[in-house]
Amino acid sequence: MSSDRADVSGSPKKQGIYYGWYVIAALFFATFLAIGSRQGFGVFVKTWEQDWGISTATVSVAASVGWLVNGVSQPFVGRLTDVYGGRRVVVISLLIMAIATISVSYVTNIYGLIALYGFVISFASGGISPATTGVIIARWFEKKRGMAMAVLIAGGSVGGLIVVPFLSYVLMEFSWQTAYWLVGGLALALGVPLLLIVVRSNPEDMGLRIDGEIPSESGETEIVVRAVGPKFVEKWRDSLSSKPIWQLSIAYFVCGITTASISVHFVRWAISEDISTGTAALAFGVLSGINACGVLVVGLLSDRWQRKNLLGAVYLIRALAFISLIVLPGPSAIWAFAVIGGMSWLATVPLTASLTADVYGVRNLGTLFGFANMAHQLGGAAAVMLFGWAFTAWGSYDVPFAIGALTLVGAGIVSLSIREKKNSVRYVRVPVGASVDLVTDDSSLQGRS
Amino acid sequence: MAGLSLPLAHHSEPIDPTLWEWLSTKMNHMLGVDSGSMVLILGSIIVLFPIVVMVLVWRRRTD
Repeated sequence: MSSDRADVSGSPKKQGIYYGWYVIAALFFATFLAIGSRQGFGVFVKTWEQDWGISTATVSVAASVGWLVNGVSQPFVGRLTDVYGGRRVVVISLLIMAIATISVSYVTNIYGLIALYGFVISFASGGISPATTGVIIARWFEKKRGMAMAVLIAGGSVGGLIVVPFLSYVLMEFSWQTAYWLVGGLALALGVPLLLIVVRSNPEDMGLRIDGEIPSESGETEIVVRAVGPKFVEKWRDSLSSKPIWQLSIAYFVCGITTASISVHFVRWAISEDISTGTAALAFGVLSGINACGVLVVGLLSDRWQRKNLLGAVYLIRALAFISLIVLPGPSAIWAFAVIGGMSWLATVPLTASLTADVYGVRNLGTLFGFANMAHQLGGAAAVMLFGWAFTAWGSYDVPFAIGALTLVGAGIVSLSIREKKNSVRYVRVPVGASVDLVTDDSSLQGRS
Repeated sequence: MAGLSLPLAHHSEPIDPTLWEWLSTKMNHMLGVDSGSMVLILGSIIVLFPIVVMVLVWRRRTD
């Protein structure tokens, strides 16, 4: 039976800022670089088209390969995290990503770009995704797990808002080669050392307890009794025979379908509705702002309320955003979507990761959430193609948006049907005598590094 | 623009180049700062963040 939560004997004490928040800050920066670096790809597309004499469709091959490779990498890096510890995986992943990013600056044709960006960078960036960083956070936080995950996920948003403009300005001032050199160099010179110095896979590696509870100063060997939930499993495969993992994964699959399709087809839709450039850009800014705030608010609430209710609400709110795209006229629809969709866009990630950790524990969290992430990415890739096909066939996005809304309503209902109070360690703990691990201060936890 | 997406994408998909042109034009118009200065400003933010975190952790460990 796995062991995840530390109940220190005696009265736990707190001191200063909990070290877990520094871990979040370091992972925030790694996420910031990884996401910024991958998103920055789009900034250089037109330059590559001119330099190499290729079409957008050809460059898109590298992006599409990258999307799929990133999705497929998630269960693998998640499994590595469960076995070897999150610290090793994120450090090595960022190191590989940094070297590959620098190498891109020497690429002279699309094949090199597909190899480096499509395969190496995309696979390595899977190692700096919620499937790995989320596992580290889940090991450091339990009471504030939702908020901690939300802060980390918001890092991705901030990364996009800072690194992408940075790359764009470097491109204007210097060249795309310089931009890749700079991002890879920053990851190598600052990101990797930061992770090495700050991040530890478990609070026990710093002599701390989960949530900041610290050992007593009595000098006696402490016995830490770690609570377990009713669905905690030794092997990740065992979780597949229970309902929550399927409920979470199916809903997350829908999340992938709806976010990816909007991400790729939003511009085409705006153009088809005769929406001006200024309106689209401003609405997009509003969406980004609400998105970052929304994920933090949801994270905060999720530590107080049942996470499945919030998850269900988020999917249903997103369904409303899709419906607004169909029923409202273009200019109104884009604002309605910015406000309503912004509230729900990223919030599914911390909720799904936290709920998976609450139900199944952190022992196999990397693998389980990795599979959910893979479903998310593959569902997204399929949806992008189907939405494109539908637009070509009908000349309108009404039908695919309606399908998106329906699947979101389904995801909302499935999420609400999760029996959190029966399955989550937040509400149900297996009696101590039934199944617990006794862990002393110098014990070695699995996944420790 | 199949395969390329917006910065509001869930994980780390590339930004849509068409939308990025819209956004960068808007930002340049609003901020009115030349690209060299923006490289310095944004670069400083990116460099300072990890340094501040490392200093805070170092101070915590030496306390």
